[in-house]
Amino acid sequence: MTTLTATNQTGHKRLRAWHVWIGALLAMLAVGLWGAYMTLRYGLTVTNLTDQVPWGLWITHDLSAIALGAGAFTFSAVVYLLRLEQFKPVARIAVFIGFLGYSSAMLALAMDIGRPDRFWHPLVYWNVHSVLWEITWCVILYFTILTVEFIPTLVDSPRFDNRPRIRRLGHALHKFAPVAAVLGLGLSLLHQSSLGATYGVLSGRAIWFKPSLPVMFIISAVAGGTALTLLATLLVEKLTHQEPISANLKRAMARTTGFSLAAYMYLKIWDWAATSYYANSPGTADALARLEATSPYQSTFWWIEVLLAGVIPMIILLSARLRRDDRLLVLACGLTVAGVVVNRWNVTLSGLVAPPQWSPGTQGGTIVAAYYPSLVEIAVSLGILGYALLAFTLGAKYLPLFPKEKAAADEGEVEVIEAVGAD
Amino acid sequence: MTDTNTPENNKDRKNPLLSRRDFLIIAGATAGAAALSQVVIAGPLSPDAVQGIERHTGASKAYEWRMGINLDRCIGCEYCLWACQAVNDVPRDEMRWNVGFPERTAGGTDFFMTRPCLHCAEAPCVKVCPVGATWIREDGIVAMDYDRCIGCRYCEVACPYDARRFNWDVVDDENKRVPTWGTPEVERRPRGVVEKCTFCVHRIDRGLEHGLMPGVDAAATPACVNICPVGARVFGDANDPESPISVFLRENETFRLREDYGTEPKVHYVSPSRAAEM
Repeated sequence: MTTLTATNQTGHKRLRAWHVWIGALLAMLAVGLWGAYMTLRYGLTVTNLTDQVPWGLWITHDLSAIALGAGAFTFSAVVYLLRLEQFKPVARIAVFIGFLGYSSAMLALAMDIGRPDRFWHPLVYWNVHSVLWEITWCVILYFTILTVEFIPTLVDSPRFDNRPRIRRLGHALHKFAPVAAVLGLGLSLLHQSSLGATYGVLSGRAIWFKPSLPVMFIISAVAGGTALTLLATLLVEKLTHQEPISANLKRAMARTTGFSLAAYMYLKIWDWAATSYYANSPGTADALARLEATSPYQSTFWWIEVLLAGVIPMIILLSARLRRDDRLLVLACGLTVAGVVVNRWNVTLSGLVAPPQWSPGTQGGTIVAAYYPSLVEIAVSLGILGYALLAFTLGAKYLPLFPKEKAAADEGEVEVIEAVGAD
Repeated sequence: MTDTNTPENNKDRKNPLLSRRDFLIIAGATAGAAALSQVVIAGPLSPDAVQGIERHTGASKAYEWRMGINLDRCIGCEYCLWACQAVNDVPRDEMRWNVGFPERTAGGTDFFMTRPCLHCAEAPCVKVCPVGATWIREDGIVAMDYDRCIGCRYCEVACPYDARRFNWDVVDDENKRVPTWGTPEVERRPRGVVEKCTFCVHRIDRGLEHGLMPGVDAAATPACVNICPVGARVFGDANDPESPISVFLRENETFRLREDYGTEPKVHYVSPSRAAEM
């Protein structure tokens, strides 16, 4: 009798928390819809963007969502190309997160471009010299691949129990998993790096113009993407009180994230040392001095990007003792994810807030610009975040994101390989 | 290049005795004449004519358009900024294609800095456009296709000279520069696209069709050049050794903005004289 009451109470509590959570996400969606309406109705004048700072919160959102979706290509490549089958149980959730990340990015971009009615122009009018053209193509193609990779998860949901033909069709797509992994790897390497090159190729902006940006973008995306995949898995585990993946797999993922993060930190420190410490590149020094005077760029760089979101999670993830603690794992992954977002914001804004000086005189021509997002920009971003979180919540509840549960990780591999048809 | 830009010459050129009112009269007359001739040869421009800025049409490798700006001669009257606003129908000061502001050299000499689009031969904005909505014509002009632009603003981010302006909303403001400084010769741009100085490409193309020479005949020459009361701006075909711009480049020591960027601008400046002395 006592047991039953206790169960009921926790049940009620959980039900209430669920309703509050869904309610909050729906509220975010509503706020986002208002923001989208304002933007489409009145134009980008509702943002705080200017001709000096034409990119801001939405571009940061776009870059972050794509970077954090990188777990999909990483784990697809690891499972289907490197044949590290122990990672197979997280392939589905990684693809799902990638799907949400890329759709979020496209929503943010659709809001950000001045003529959303012309979103298709890059497909018809080509400028092969533009990294942004290449990115557009890669993102569209890769999103298609993510959709194909996501379909088997969808048709495995109980909703399709009575539709065996659709399910068979969906599973047939799974045969292309290795092909999709190769294509996904190529496309991701291209556009994740090109997003860094978006800034890195601009010779007129000293603080951006460096060959390290494309490389740092892809490596930080791998770190952030795997961190988010692990974070989401851990949260599903805590909230559903199930163990979707084995403890060994969790540790292996933590190690993968830790090594990516270490590689990223290594590059990042050398990037700083080579451009600012050992060399004194005048353009970079000037831009950094102006940023120091007018923005918290320097402190967010060192305290958040390097220490809080770099060194600390790296230590946790690479220490065999520390990464055994799930709470520390959640903390480390959360910090890594936040670090990627802060980095994309800092990279985007730093080059715009301290623009190059072009006047031959000493007074004009250089504007130290300022930017903080407007209410509408924040609303739209909240809405897109709400979409991703709501979709993930529903997916975690209703989709078989961890199909074989623990068994798959430990013993179900034979069956999986057969399903892949790779042998 | 020979430097005839000696201090004596410069003193002669400067004419601080001309009053602002005199300038207004001279400039108004010039603007009126230019506007009138434009209407006579071109008539009202239809939307199709605006797209006379079509790819490579009217543009020939035979010409290479460049502009010269003599900062030493400039008196800071701002007429060039206003004429540009009138002719290209840019009502808002913050969206000016042709910007100007008081400046001071490192040596402490005051001068007035003006800057149109520099029409770079290695234009960063052209390289980055994902849809090819901006491109370099055969005659070197960096042109814009407002019908193709998707408004991503990457060109604004790429331009190191802050030469591009985005239509953040519908610009339906009254143009206060009209009719004193000219009449609009091109359509206003729609919301959500980027715009910038065109070297008054519509005048160049129409002018050549009618046998006029840009830089020589006012009706075929950018509005900012025509309106300048002291002749601080010159324009013309750099391929023709006798064109005003070729003479300007030959007779003056000139520089371009931030040549270290490798952008190869096609606007050449003469320093304010006393700066050269410093």
